[in-house]
Amino acid sequence: MKKRVRMAGVLAALAVLVGGMAWYFSKGKLERYEMTFLDVFDTVASITGYAESEEEFARQAGLLHAELKRYHEMFDIYHTYEGEDNIKAINDAAGKEAVKVDAEVIDLLKLGQEMYGKTGGKVNIAYGSVLAVWHEYREAGILDPQDAQVPPAKLLKERAGHTDISKMVIDEEAGTVFLEDPQMRLDVGSIGKGFAVQRAAEYAKELGMGHVLFCIGGNVCAVGGKADGTPWKVGIEDPGLGVQGGYVQTVGITGQSLVTSGDYQRYYEVGGKRYCHIIDPDTGMPAGDFLSVTVLSEDSGAADALSTALFCMGYEEGLAVVEGMGGVEALWVMEDGGIRCSSGFKADEEK
Amino acid sequence: MKKNDLILVGGILLLALAAYVGISWYSAVSTKEAEAVVVVDGKEQGRYPLHQDATVEIRVEGGGYNHLEIREGAADIVGASCPDKLCVKQRPVDKQGESLVCLPNRVVVEIENGQEAGVDGTTH
Repeated sequence: MKKRVRMAGVLAALAVLVGGMAWYFSKGKLERYEMTFLDVFDTVASITGYAESEEEFARQAGLLHAELKRYHEMFDIYHTYEGEDNIKAINDAAGKEAVKVDAEVIDLLKLGQEMYGKTGGKVNIAYGSVLAVWHEYREAGILDPQDAQVPPAKLLKERAGHTDISKMVIDEEAGTVFLEDPQMRLDVGSIGKGFAVQRAAEYAKELGMGHVLFCIGGNVCAVGGKADGTPWKVGIEDPGLGVQGGYVQTVGITGQSLVTSGDYQRYYEVGGKRYCHIIDPDTGMPAGDFLSVTVLSEDSGAADALSTALFCMGYEEGLAVVEGMGGVEALWVMEDGGIRCSSGFKADEEK
Repeated sequence: MKKNDLILVGGILLLALAAYVGISWYSAVSTKEAEAVVVVDGKEQGRYPLHQDATVEIRVEGGGYNHLEIREGAADIVGASCPDKLCVKQRPVDKQGESLVCLPNRVVVEIENGQEAGVDGTTH
C-alpha cells in the first residue's frame, strides 16, 4: 500500500514536471508570418507580424487588409464603388455640388491642407488636373515607347490654372466637400497611402497586435518593434548606385514610419530622357534633383507627404524644412550618388 | 522518496532533456532547401529549388508571361509581357521571404526556406 502511494506520488510529480515543461516551451510561442496583397494602392503590400498560429495571423492580417482596401476605395480617383462616395465623386461634382463623404476622407483632405502649408505648396492635393495629363502621357508612353511624348507646355500651363487648393471647400459640420473650380481635380496620391497605413497601424494596435510591419510600396510603417524587442530593420533600396547588398542604408525603426520617394522605378522615357511620376507643382514638370529621398517620422501620412515634397525641393531648402519641423528626419541620395542626412537621422552602424 | 525513486525521476528528466536537445538540433540542421515559389493570382503554380539553374516561363491568363530565371542560387525575372517592366527591374532575390512581383500579371515569386534576410522590410 505504502509503495503504491509512493509510486502515485512520483508519477504525479513527473506529470507536473513534464506538463510544466511542455507549457513553458509552448506558451506564447509566437511565430513570425508575412502576407502579401496586390490589390491595394496599385502596389505590393505586405504585412509582417507574429501570432501563435498561421490561422490566427491570417485572420488578423485579413482584417488589416480589409481596412487598407476600404481606404484604397475611399481615396480612389479613377473608380466608383458601391455604397460610398469617394474622392472621384468629389472630382466628378466639381463646380456643381458639395459631396457628402466619410469623416476619414475629410481628415485626409485636412492633412492635405496642412501639408500644403508646411511644404510651401510642394504637396498640393488640388493638383489633379495637371497630374491627369502626365498620367495619360506616361501610360501611353509606357505602352508605346516609340511614340512616347511629353505633354504640350500649353496644355500643362492651362491646367495649372486650376490647382488652387483654397477652392476646395470643406464643410465639417455637414461632412461635405465642394470644389468651386469646375476644372479642378483632387489627387491624393502623395498622402493617401501614408494616411491609410497610419490608420491601419492604429487599428492593429486596437486589435492587440503589438508588433507589425506594414510595407506598402515605398511606405514602411512599424507598430512597435519585433517580438524580441529589437527594432525592425528596414533597408533603403539602392536607387541604382550598384551598392553591395542592395541598400544605401539600413535603419532600425520602432513604432515609426519610413517613406521613400524616388524617380528610378516609375517613369517613362521620351527620346532617351527620363520623366518620373513625381511632378513639381511649381514647374509642372517632373522633379529630379535626387535619386531618392527618404523620410523618417512618427506619422506615416506626414512622412509620405514630406518625402514627395522634399523630392521637389533643393537640398538646402528641404533640409531647412526638415530641421524646422521637429520629429522628422530625412536622407537624400543625390544625383551623383552622394548621401546627405538631416542632423538627427540615425542609420544603423553596420550596413 | 527512496533513493531509487530519485534515480528514476532524474533518469526520466535526463531522457526528456536529451530528447528536447535532440529534436531542436534535428530541426535546426534539417531545414528544407531554399526554393522559389511561383504564385499567380493567389494560386501556387510551381516550386523551383534555388540550387538548380532553371528557366521558367510563367504563363498568365490572357496571354501574358514572365520569364523567371534561377541562376547561381537566386531567382530573377528577366523578361515579361507587362508594360511597366517593374518586375524585370527588380534585382534577383535569394533570401527568406524576399519576393519578385509583377502587379499587372498578378505574379509573385517568393523565396521559401532561404537564408535569413538581412532586413525586415524595404523602402524604394
